[in-house]
Amino acid sequence: MEALFISTANFHHLLGNLVKKNLLYAPRKKGDFLFYERIETASPKDLILHTNRPVQPLKSFFFPPYQKVGQYFESASPEDTETPKRVILGVKNCDLESLKTLDSVYAGTQFSSSPDPWYTRARDSSLLISSDCLEPDEYCFCTLLGSNPDPEEGFDLNLSPVDGGFVIEVGSEKGKAIVNQDQNLFISADENVLAQREKTRADSLAKVKELNQEVEVKSPYRDMIRETYSSPVWKDHSENCVDCGGCNEICPTCRCFLLQDGREKERFERVRLWDACLLTGFARVAGGANPRPKLSDRFSNRLFCKFYFFPENVNLDACTGCGRCISVCIGKIDMRKVFKDLEKERSKGSAEKIK
Amino acid sequence: MTEYDPVKTNVSEVITETSNIKTFVLRPERPLDFEAGQFIQLTVPGVGEGPFTPSSSPYEKEKLEVTIMEVGRVTSALHNLKQGSMVGLRGPFGKEYPLDRFRGREILIVGGGVGMAPLRSLFLSLAHTIDDYKKLVFCCGSRTPKDIVYKDAVLDRWQTEFKDKVSFRITVDEGDGTWKGQVGLVTTTLDNLDQEISNFKESIAVVCGPPIMMKFTTMKLLDIGYGHENIYLSMEKNMSCGLGRCGHCQMGKYLVCRDGPVFTYQEVKNIPNMWD
Repeated sequence: MEALFISTANFHHLLGNLVKKNLLYAPRKKGDFLFYERIETASPKDLILHTNRPVQPLKSFFFPPYQKVGQYFESASPEDTETPKRVILGVKNCDLESLKTLDSVYAGTQFSSSPDPWYTRARDSSLLISSDCLEPDEYCFCTLLGSNPDPEEGFDLNLSPVDGGFVIEVGSEKGKAIVNQDQNLFISADENVLAQREKTRADSLAKVKELNQEVEVKSPYRDMIRETYSSPVWKDHSENCVDCGGCNEICPTCRCFLLQDGREKERFERVRLWDACLLTGFARVAGGANPRPKLSDRFSNRLFCKFYFFPENVNLDACTGCGRCISVCIGKIDMRKVFKDLEKERSKGSAEKIK
Repeated sequence: MTEYDPVKTNVSEVITETSNIKTFVLRPERPLDFEAGQFIQLTVPGVGEGPFTPSSSPYEKEKLEVTIMEVGRVTSALHNLKQGSMVGLRGPFGKEYPLDRFRGREILIVGGGVGMAPLRSLFLSLAHTIDDYKKLVFCCGSRTPKDIVYKDAVLDRWQTEFKDKVSFRITVDEGDGTWKGQVGLVTTTLDNLDQEISNFKESIAVVCGPPIMMKFTTMKLLDIGYGHENIYLSMEKNMSCGLGRCGHCQMGKYLVCRDGPVFTYQEVKNIPNMWD
């Protein structure tokens, strides 16, 4: 992929151009946390590009928590509203990776015979400018899923900070078009800045690895999970779960929703809302039967979905190691420790296997 | 119109089957072509929708029927509907019974309670080309004689119409003063099945009913020699979007709305809590 250099001043010039024609979102600090916020002017002080991921999962932009999807028995369709052009800046690799899972459900044809119109429109009208993650925290574990803190694919442009500016990598035709519009802002990246980028990336990677030394397991999660579904470890860890569904909502790959109908005079509407498989009634049917009545069943099923259901269907782990589920959990449940305990348990060889 | 918008549908008749089960005759503005075993989503406007498998023959194009037990919010609203009410339909979704696999074989159908609904559609489908099948045995279990769904057809009409090719075994858990038939759980209809079916290994069994009924029926079928891949079960899970996206009907590696709702025992036997 093409690597260019842009100076800090030119970068702000570029943002100035982008903000004129697009809604620009970037990570901004609110209290102790980072959130994607709308940026109206590209003021340099506002941008926090190289820490780890913001609180909101990237899915919020393409699969919002609340969306009207139907207005029935009318000829008018709710889909006629224009989708705004958006630039999302400072996306981290764990969130870029999460789009593979979401794309498989909402843009692909493995699950559904046709792509989801709202999702694909929002994806198509967004430009993703990612940036290297240089400040992983104690929740980050992308390396345990075979990933890195710096993006390799899935972005339009990627930023890596170097002295005096950024190395910009072009990742798509859309990204290429942005560069072509303002060609005079870029020069080609020389060996020095590229070497600096590699050094910074290596440091960050080493940091994530170090943070996860104690929870690392020998086999991939997807291999382990097949052999552990009846393990008592699930129940042990689920005892700290309070059934809040926070891990579902904040997870960038959790993609389940609830359809809800409403009525306004003679107009009938259907909306979809984020739903959470941790909640008691998620799989319950009208007659009351529930395939997962016990919290421990729902707790384990959530991770079975990520490391068994998705790999079986689309050969993807539906987890990117972003660590949001760990940071949000009021029961302090850490899925890395669940797998670590499963590994210990497995070495005893007692759990049943999925055939 | 989006894929979440249902087709406007007229309720042209409401038939009371039992104290808590009704059959609705539906005429959608645009016909929905379905095959036996597939399901539809039925909307009560402004209230919500629920998944149901049509109980009518797929060969009847201008209408379809659904047989519904009143158990929850949407089904209660459905039970309040009258002739002429307006509802919505989406679908069909999921996979049909693979009739190509059934041809030339002895077919056993076992239904319990409102589980008779998809089996009626299947039976009418099979009956349409009855000579394609070697033999049909239709077993039906109900709680009491009053709870027999499609009573008139099961006890009389079908028995007369198909007497050469179909055997019926009808039982109730508890009889009453008028009942002269068999009394016993639906699994008792499988006793002495060799009188009807000559080759259990090659025979196809289709089972639909409450989970506990499907479980014990399956166990008995396995005992008498049915193959795991020849027992077809209806996995009625919480199908919602029908489009493979919402995740509610995930079961092991499957999505019931996409891969089911009919599965062979072979496909689902290792899924945790599969009978719940």
